[in-house]
Amino acid sequence: MKEKRAAPLAVMLLVMIYLLIPLAVSIVYSLFRKWTGVLPEGFRLDNYIALFTDGEFLASVGRSIAMCIVPIAATIVIVLLALFVTTIYFPKLEKYVQIICMIPYTIQGVILSVSILSLYVGSPTFLSNRLLMLMGAYCVVILPYIYQGIRNGMRAVHMPTLIEAAEMLGASKLYAFFRVVVPNILSAIIISSLLAVGIIFGDYVLIRNLAGTSAPNMQIYLYQTMKHDSTMASAVFVIIMLTTFIITLLVLLLQNKDTKRRQQQVKE
Amino acid sequence: MGYIHFENIHKDFGQNKVLKGITMDVERGHLVTLLGPSGCGKSTLLRCLAGLEEVTSGTVSLDGKDITHVNPRDRGIGMVFQQYSLFPNMSVAQNVAFGLNMKKVPKDTISRKVAEILKIVGLEDKAEQYPNQLSGGQQQRVALARAIVTEPKVLLLDEPLSAIDAKLRRNLQVEIRRIQQDFGMTTIFVTHDQDEAMVMSDVIHLFHNGLIEQSGTPTEMYTQPVSKFAASFIGNYNILSAADFQKASGEAVDCADVAIRPEIVRINLEVADESKRFHMEGEVVNSLSHGNLMRYTILCGGVEINADIMFEKSHLLEIGQKVRLSIRKTNVILLNS
Repeated sequence: MKEKRAAPLAVMLLVMIYLLIPLAVSIVYSLFRKWTGVLPEGFRLDNYIALFTDGEFLASVGRSIAMCIVPIAATIVIVLLALFVTTIYFPKLEKYVQIICMIPYTIQGVILSVSILSLYVGSPTFLSNRLLMLMGAYCVVILPYIYQGIRNGMRAVHMPTLIEAAEMLGASKLYAFFRVVVPNILSAIIISSLLAVGIIFGDYVLIRNLAGTSAPNMQIYLYQTMKHDSTMASAVFVIIMLTTFIITLLVLLLQNKDTKRRQQQVKE
Repeated sequence: MGYIHFENIHKDFGQNKVLKGITMDVERGHLVTLLGPSGCGKSTLLRCLAGLEEVTSGTVSLDGKDITHVNPRDRGIGMVFQQYSLFPNMSVAQNVAFGLNMKKVPKDTISRKVAEILKIVGLEDKAEQYPNQLSGGQQQRVALARAIVTEPKVLLLDEPLSAIDAKLRRNLQVEIRRIQQDFGMTTIFVTHDQDEAMVMSDVIHLFHNGLIEQSGTPTEMYTQPVSKFAASFIGNYNILSAADFQKASGEAVDCADVAIRPEIVRINLEVADESKRFHMEGEVVNSLSHGNLMRYTILCGGVEINADIMFEKSHLLEIGQKVRLSIRKTNVILLNS
């Protein structure tokens, strides 16, 4: 029995080591002055102290989080409503919605950013706002991931039948959708959101081309830091990873809290 | 006009005409079964009554009011679905309370009613569990409790037992019938299982190709099929063309087909008045055990006849054994369509 478990454990350990080595090395590199021999030398926290006292860096963290949350929230709402309408009222249109939502898979970041710029940059309206353009671009980029996740979730819970059952008990279609269907596809929404977080935090092309240095986020800050201080850049990288990790953790905690709250309601 | 009245209901899905002019009444307090094979339109008619499908033409009335275009949630109809359709994110109690919450019933009344109904369906100890923690039978009882707790005018059951194993299904058939009679609730039950229909119904409507083939009480449906389809769908009738019947019995009959129930066929029976019976000579070609029944297939003049005989160890027939069949003439059903 132990032998049977040893093999998968060993594989998992190897994968984890492979994935964690870059992060571990970056952490070490950011905490020491020099690493030319076997062991690093000159432990210090200067990089982190400098970063957390740098208003420009903190602003870039804030911008990164905002640029992540707003497009994801907007895309989730749009996809949920689109899928509700197509599934319940116009099932024949679903394949067209799917095609539209899949198109961004094929568009390169450079092409997308150049297209957006050429279309909106001269607009006299609020659409020429660079941050707004960037958030719109992120909505487009993450659309296939959010759409696919939510659609699979809806299929798994047999959404039309659940809505019919709720209707027969006196609920409206929209109420049934938000009260019965959405809570049951929350996991699908959360998983696709986390995937979108990863995509947005990993982007450099769109932010560089659309927002440039006028509203730098963490990625731009990282790029600029790399030019003159590699250990500081490692510290920025570690903070980016930690921020992503904290967002993931918060989302999962909120989900757990919601589940516990519902269980508590039942007991009461 | 009955408590529920369907008037010339047509329902088309594109070119496919699913219901072709159904006119039907359901009396208050009755349990009526819509019976038929898959695709005959029985579930579609149920969904038209629920409001989940719009009729192409015709009217549906409930308690004297035209509800053809009324929203499903305003019809006062409860429904149990084939896949249970319990809300997975809600506990048993929350599922059952959902309809009462929609009606804005006071909280203490909801708690009382939920407790009462869960006791009736025998799930009072499962109130805090979630649907995925229940067996299929328990889930179906929750679905039933959820549908009846709101005291609907009509309860619709759309093949609610088809996904449940045979033994549990028999128990639930009895349980549903008991609850329906206790509440005096007008109920429409959809099934393709003729045994289920026989056990549960006050009235059966047999559907075929979007039309009602025959309506009647279970006994009428079983003993007096009006067509070849009705005879073939209900019971295990021997259906013979007039020519085949003549080959087997040597007697001519004035009809298109003859239907004979297997249990009225007597084997090697000595009777006083031979003129009141058809007689056939044949050879046993097959035997099947159905527990308390033995079904023998007997080849008479090149025509196979099934006969059901109560199992008796000392009277078992051998394959190849020559036998004499006798069938009371009044029990043979002559079919003209």
